[in-house]
Amino acid sequence: MSIEKIKQNYSNLEKEGIFEKEFLPHINPMYNFAYRLTYDDDDAKDLVQETYLKAFRFLNSFQQGTNAKAWLFRILKNSFINDFRKKSKQPPKIDYQEVETYYNSDNVDVSMTTDLRVETVQHMIGDEVSNALNALDVDFRTVIILCDLEGFTYEEMSKILDIPIGTIRSRLHRARNLLKEKLHEYAKSMGFNK
Amino acid sequence: MATNLFSWIKQSVFGKISCKKCLELLELITDNEASSEEEKRFREHINACLPCYESFNLEKSIKEMLQTKLEKKQVPEDLIESIKLKIRNHT
Ligand SMILES: [Zn+2]
Repeated sequence: MSIEKIKQNYSNLEKEGIFEKEFLPHINPMYNFAYRLTYDDDDAKDLVQETYLKAFRFLNSFQQGTNAKAWLFRILKNSFINDFRKKSKQPPKIDYQEVETYYNSDNVDVSMTTDLRVETVQHMIGDEVSNALNALDVDFRTVIILCDLEGFTYEEMSKILDIPIGTIRSRLHRARNLLKEKLHEYAKSMGFNK
Repeated sequence: MATNLFSWIKQSVFGKISCKKCLELLELITDNEASSEEEKRFREHINACLPCYESFNLEKSIKEMLQTKLEKKQVPEDLIESIKLKIRNHT
């Protein structure tokens, strides 16, 4: 998993084998991740291609049998930040201060959870869910995708995003509350949830 | 004395953790990151506390909604071919 230390020395044949057996099987989740970051078919394709070429070029930094999916997701996310985000010039919108202090504060945000109802959530259709998720800032969207859609553990997420587990937890918490807010707004506009 | 009695009753009904602690555990539980001891205390609490039980159901239903309702795109075939081709030209 760690990109820094372990250097392997694979032959070309071994490289192709690893690429085929350990990297390519993850291309569908990779493509979906790329698409949810960029919202554009062509950008998603470029991002996935760039990621796979990088993965191949730096294959000696990958230790066979370790978590290839997390390794690939990390490369994809870094490529996105370095190349794609710069292009779109989106200023980061997160108030990190607010995020980091959450778990040290006494007031647990209970109010949010009472507004939205389980039945409302269960009646949401795909487009509504997708719109709510897309409305979140990319850093919040990312933790939800990694955790809820791809099932990465906090520890894996911490390595993919290069942030401590405590920050993963607070960011996830904030992201989920924002998502609930969006779902609730949507439900209200449709006349559900009184 | 009266407050002690009150807290004793509260504890025996809601288990060993408070609602605040329960809500802090909520996401750890839904994300499968809690220890078995935390899980046990959490279950004890939500079995006796309706608001926390409801919060838990909501959290679970949102996770389920994300997993089942979002469209999963199929990667374009030509992308795989193009990647393989570029790799082969490099080796
Ligand atoms: Zn409670």
